Amino acid sequence: MKGFLEYVPGDSLLHKMNPVAKLAVSLLIIFACFITQSFVALIAILVLDYAFAAHCKMMPQTVGLTKAVAGFSAILALIALFTVPAGAVLAPLPWGYIGTGSILAAVRIVLRLVACAIPLFLTFYVTKINDISNALVKVCHVPYRYAFVFSSTVHFIPVFMNDMSGIMEAQTARGVEFDGGFAKKVRLMVPLCVPLLVSSVRKTNSAAIAAEVRGFNLRTRASGYKEYPFAGRDVCALALACALFAASFLV
Amino acid sequence: MIRFDHVSAAYAVQTPVVRDASFTIDNGEFVAFVGTNGAGKSTTMRLCNGLLKPTAGRVLVDGVPTTELRTSDLARRVGFLFQNPDRQICCKTVREELEFGFRAQDALTDEARARVDATIERFGFDANAEPYLLNRGTRQLLALASIIVMEPDTIILDEPTTGLDFHECEKVMGAIADLHTRGKTIVMVCHDMEVVADYAERVIVMTAGEVVASGPTFEVLRQRAVLERAGLIAPQVVDVSLRLVERHPELAGTPIATANTLDEMVAAIEAYAAGAKEAAR
Repeated sequence: MKGFLEYVPGDSLLHKMNPVAKLAVSLLIIFACFITQSFVALIAILVLDYAFAAHCKMMPQTVGLTKAVAGFSAILALIALFTVPAGAVLAPLPWGYIGTGSILAAVRIVLRLVACAIPLFLTFYVTKINDISNALVKVCHVPYRYAFVFSSTVHFIPVFMNDMSGIMEAQTARGVEFDGGFAKKVRLMVPLCVPLLVSSVRKTNSAAIAAEVRGFNLRTRASGYKEYPFAGRDVCALALACALFAASFLV
Repeated sequence: MIRFDHVSAAYAVQTPVVRDASFTIDNGEFVAFVGTNGAGKSTTMRLCNGLLKPTAGRVLVDGVPTTELRTSDLARRVGFLFQNPDRQICCKTVREELEFGFRAQDALTDEARARVDATIERFGFDANAEPYLLNRGTRQLLALASIIVMEPDTIILDEPTTGLDFHECEKVMGAIADLHTRGKTIVMVCHDMEVVADYAERVIVMTAGEVVASGPTFEVLRQRAVLERAGLIAPQVVDVSLRLVERHPELAGTPIATANTLDEMVAAIEAYAAGAKEAAR
């Protein structure tokens, strides 16, 4: 299996689409997720996400992502549960109450975050990062330096994850136990974060120097030889995404 | 004592990185693992202190399988020095760094503090210096010291001399040799065959995840076929000795044919030259 956010080759429709179209469709779906208040709409978007994932054979990654995002959004859901007093009272609290509406708000947060995370992550899995940044430069006229910042940020994620795992190994070998209560985990952030911060600053500094000595500043929009024309499928996908976006205001 | 009993290991679902490895490292030994990149040496080291569990076979540390021990428990018995000290260093001062292992195990007693003081003095560290501002060699030495201060019986070193200049290398290896003379078991992965020849008592050669040779250092380093199979070259003095005997078979049986160190080679050549001079008279 490939690493986190690492391009997975394939010949699905999503793989063949224009990178900018893929990004735009993802963003429209994300906006739709945040605009709609309807459970049915959110579930429909989630089903659509999974259909995309199945189409481009990315189900294991999508299930993994769903678990991770659901875990993270559970914290937000918990906060919503205790701070959004709505609907019929189920349990009174000193500052309000937990109601049926609070539960719906909590579930909606989880659904919304999972539904909006999947399209963007799928876009990264089915598109080479260089293609995304080059297409942004060619098609959207984004200055190369900003596109490079974007692509190098994504490139560095697996590098830092690998570093983090190495640092955890090194600290475990010194007797640090990474299981335990919340307070203990917070205390253990220092031995993890400091080496990661130092290594990331060193790595980004080296990468910046390496880019500079290879003529980074000389690059213009015309430097890339690859063109990214829009095909019929891209227009269709954009039209459908726009329709979904418009529908999110209505439901 | 560390014992590998038909051990295989793999990362995730990939093919095994270590295959059917069996060997024993006795207490007080200085063993070097050699082989090319990807031979499975570092994976073997991770198996030794439980960072990686075997997929087949057993790794026993002092008779206890690593699968039955937590890595933090193993850390008290087996210290591990990583190739990159920056993955290990995390404190604001040298003193705090040396105390870190004790704090992690809730064992920062007066005795522990005394050991930290002794270690600072022994290595000549500035106790209040910021670790990240030290040079590469001193950071490596600090990482080693923070392992030594815990006084584990076995110390595993994963390429301890990578990126160090000659003097830094001498300093780090001197500290390691000193530990060995004090009875500690040293297990080292090293690409520098000169360092291996200078310090190790026993060599284990690995290639493609398999142990292909194991024995006293120079006995193994004189086996050209084994080294070629593992993609290695002999240390220079051994190589010179082997080549001289190949080109001049009459040297077989002389001290030149068995010289392993520079001093031995110089003495052997001088003896041979003196003998030749005598014969000419």
